[in-house]
Amino acid sequence: MESTEMIKIVNLHKNYGELEVIKGINLEIRAGEVVCIIGPSGSGKSTVLRCINRLETPTSGTIIVDGKDIMDSETDINHVRTEAGMVFQQFNLFPHMTVLDNVTIGPVKVRKISVTEAEKLGRSLLEKVGLADKAKNYPEQLSGGQKQRVAIARALSLKPKVILFDEPTSALDPELVGEVLEVMKQLASEGMTMVVVTHEMGFARDVADRVIFIDKGVIQEDNAPDAFFSNPENPRLRDFLGKVAEH
Amino acid sequence: MQFQFDWSAFFESFPMLMRGIKFTIVITIGGLVFGFLIGAFMGLMKLARHVVPRTLAITYIEAIRGTPMLVQAMFLYYGVPMAMGLRIPPLTAGIIIIAINSGAYIAEIVRGSVQSIDPGQTEAGRSIGLTRSQTMLYIVWPQAFKRMIPPLGNQFIISLKDTSLLMVIGVGELLRTGQEIVAVSFKAFEVYLAVAVVYLVMTLTIARGLRVLENHLEMKTKR
Repeated sequence: MESTEMIKIVNLHKNYGELEVIKGINLEIRAGEVVCIIGPSGSGKSTVLRCINRLETPTSGTIIVDGKDIMDSETDINHVRTEAGMVFQQFNLFPHMTVLDNVTIGPVKVRKISVTEAEKLGRSLLEKVGLADKAKNYPEQLSGGQKQRVAIARALSLKPKVILFDEPTSALDPELVGEVLEVMKQLASEGMTMVVVTHEMGFARDVADRVIFIDKGVIQEDNAPDAFFSNPENPRLRDFLGKVAEH
Repeated sequence: MQFQFDWSAFFESFPMLMRGIKFTIVITIGGLVFGFLIGAFMGLMKLARHVVPRTLAITYIEAIRGTPMLVQAMFLYYGVPMAMGLRIPPLTAGIIIIAINSGAYIAEIVRGSVQSIDPGQTEAGRSIGLTRSQTMLYIVWPQAFKRMIPPLGNQFIISLKDTSLLMVIGVGELLRTGQEIVAVSFKAFEVYLAVAVVYLVMTLTIARGLRVLENHLEMKTKR
C-alpha cells in the first residue's frame, strides 16, 4: 500500500542552551488524520508543532513534511510552509491590512496569482469561516473568535495539505471558543490533516483520530481518544487528566 | 542712550531672510531624504544576522553620534578636500552632513521601531511562505514605519535647527543670512529675533503636520 504519510518526525531533540525541551520524539501523522497534542505547559508540545514548519530549528532529528526533509538545506522551507499552514494562539493577524488582504497576501505574493483571483479565493474562504461580511474590516474591529476564524482562513489561503494549530482557543474568552472549534470541526470533516495543540479535551475526544500526551519533552501516550480518556495507562497522564477534570 | 526696538528693521528682515529660508528648507529636506535612506539601510543592517554588516552599522552610528556635528562639518568641508583634492560646494556639503548626521540617529529609530513589532507578525508572515525580505517589506515595515513617525518628526526638527551650524562652512542658510543683514544694519536684536521667529514657525509647522499624518494613519485601521 502506498504511504499516505504527511508528517514524519524521527528522534527530534530541541535544546535552548543547556535546557533540553524535546528529548527524542518520534511521531507519524497520516494524511487526513486529526491529531491532538495535550500536555502541561512547558511540556514542549508547542515546540514540537513549531519545529514542523521550522519556526523553531530542531537541534537534531529528522522531520519529513509531505515527503520533504525540512532539515535538508536543499529544501525550500518557504514552499514547505505553504503546505503546512499555521494558526497561532495570539492570532497574529496583520493589523495594517483589511481582513480580505490578510487572506490574499499569501496567494498574491507567494503563489503569484492575480489579485482578482486571490480576492475570489479570499472571499470564498471568509464565507467558509462565516465572515464574508467582514472582508473590508480591519482586525482591530473583530472579536477574538472572529480574528481566529480569519487566521484559519489565512492558513487555508495557500491550500495547505496540513494545518498546525498552536493552542487556537487559549487566548479566547470562553463564550468565543465554540465558534472557532466549529470551524475546526468542519475542516476535520472535510478531511483536512490537522495537528492541534490544545487544552480543549472535549474537542480532542470528539474530533481527534489520535490524542498524544507530551510531558517532560517525550511522548508519554499516543492513543485513540476513547482509550486515551477512559482508560489512561500512563500514571502521568492519569494525574494530568485528573487535574484538568477538576476545573 | 536707551534701546529703541526698531519695528521696521524687524519686519524688513523677513523678505531679506527669504533666500536663507529657502536654503535651510532645501538642505533640511535634501539631508533628511538621504538621511532616511542611510538610516533605514543602517538600521536594518544593525538587525542583520551576520556580524559584518552589524559591526559596520554599529561603527557608523557610534562614530557619528559620538562626535559634534560642527566637527563633522569642518572635517568634510575643510579636511576632506585637503586629503582628496576635491572641493565640495557648500550646499552639497550641507546636505551631505545633515544626511550623514541624521542617518545615524534615524538608524536607531528604524532599528527600535522594527524591533518593537511583535515577533508573532514575522512568524505569521513566514508561516504563509513569505520570504524573509517579503515579510519585512509587507508585514513588519509598514507597521514599524507608523511607529517611526513621532521620533522621525523629532529628528526632522533637530536637523532643521542643526542646519544653522552650517554657517561655519559658508552655507547661505537662514542664520548666515541673518548675520549678513546684521553686518550691514547693526540691528542685531531685531534681525536675530526675526531669525528665531522663522525657525519657530518652521518647527511648529512640522510638528503640526506630523500630528495630522499620525491621526490620519490611526484612523485608517480603525474607521
